Amino acid sequence: MRDKELETRLRLLTLQLDNWKKLHDLITYGLDKTKPIISSEQEHQFTEIRANLLQETEHIFGELNILAELSGKAMNVLQRSVSVRGVRDLTSEDMRRLEMEWNAVFTKLGVAQGQLKARRKQLAGQTAFAYYLGRLFRRPAIAC
Amino acid sequence: METRLLILNADPVFHDRALAILDTLEEVETRIVRTFAESVQVLMAENFDGFIVEGESALAIEQATNARQHFPSLKIVCLILYRHEAEIAAAAEQQEIGLLHRARSERRLRQTLASFVRSLDSHSCTPAEGIDPCHSLIGNLNQFSAAEILQMSCLSQRSGRFTFKSGRGNSEIYLQQGSVRHAVFGSLEGESAVAEIFRWRQGRFYFEEGIISQEQTVDRPWAHLLIDNLQKLDETLELVSV
Repeated sequence: MRDKELETRLRLLTLQLDNWKKLHDLITYGLDKTKPIISSEQEHQFTEIRANLLQETEHIFGELNILAELSGKAMNVLQRSVSVRGVRDLTSEDMRRLEMEWNAVFTKLGVAQGQLKARRKQLAGQTAFAYYLGRLFRRPAIAC
Repeated sequence: METRLLILNADPVFHDRALAILDTLEEVETRIVRTFAESVQVLMAENFDGFIVEGESALAIEQATNARQHFPSLKIVCLILYRHEAEIAAAAEQQEIGLLHRARSERRLRQTLASFVRSLDSHSCTPAEGIDPCHSLIGNLNQFSAAEILQMSCLSQRSGRFTFKSGRGNSEIYLQQGSVRHAVFGSLEGESAVAEIFRWRQGRFYFEEGIISQEQTVDRPWAHLLIDNLQKLDETLELVSV
């Protein structure tokens, strides 16, 4: 069976991770001094990804109950990386911090995605009847 | 087997009514993209049973029409918010694009989407490829052999689809930048299909520029295929002359 809430969370997480990966690709390109040309198309892509992340991060983190843990780090990454060119001009200390914070967000999201996928796999082998029956019997007894 | 759907939705986080319903449909795997360019890239790399373009009607139809030019056998539908005008419906029909109305009631929307997914189950899994209604090259195999035509097209780095029609049946060879990417003749695929077409001396052919095959069944360079097949052909001709 498929759990609606789980599927929604997984979808949101996949979309968010996808954007974090794309952002990282462009940041990495910006940091690579051997690639001197930054095209306007790349800058446009960067702005689009950044705009999507700025809009969606808080909502998605809220849905996944990780808002308090990751919101600050995610905002730091998004505020520090203004453009691909801007990333190239960062000091080495800022660069290091940017990469560390991006990594913290990415790691947490990756782990959460793995957990949700494992839960989905577990549910896939169950019928809706077995799932609800299991929930019914797992319900803790409440002392009056 | 799961039905694979590609969904183009510019704002999949906040406009996700249809996505939330598709999430719960059993045996459906979805992939979401935000831009048309991304969807073409994904369609080139992976096989999908259907493509849903979600959004404002005029833009959705435009994007679906664009997709149709490159992927003719793909089942494409537009999921649009408001009741469509006659003009839009006509444009969609012409391009064999389905129109689904994003009903306000969740139950009705679920029914619409479920019925679309069911229609895909019966949809044959032909390789997704593109179409261009203009045939840029038409000819007869009596005058030019398949080897000559393919040699000329490969040397000029063409991308597109050759269709060969003869008494034996129809076959297709897909080129990508001067290399044979995919070939099919009946149940034959890949190099064996190419070898079969090489032997044809009667029939017609036409070439449609810009048609792309998602499937790749041939991975050797054209020069190798040509030499091997001409050698095989010589051997066959030798057998005939004996």
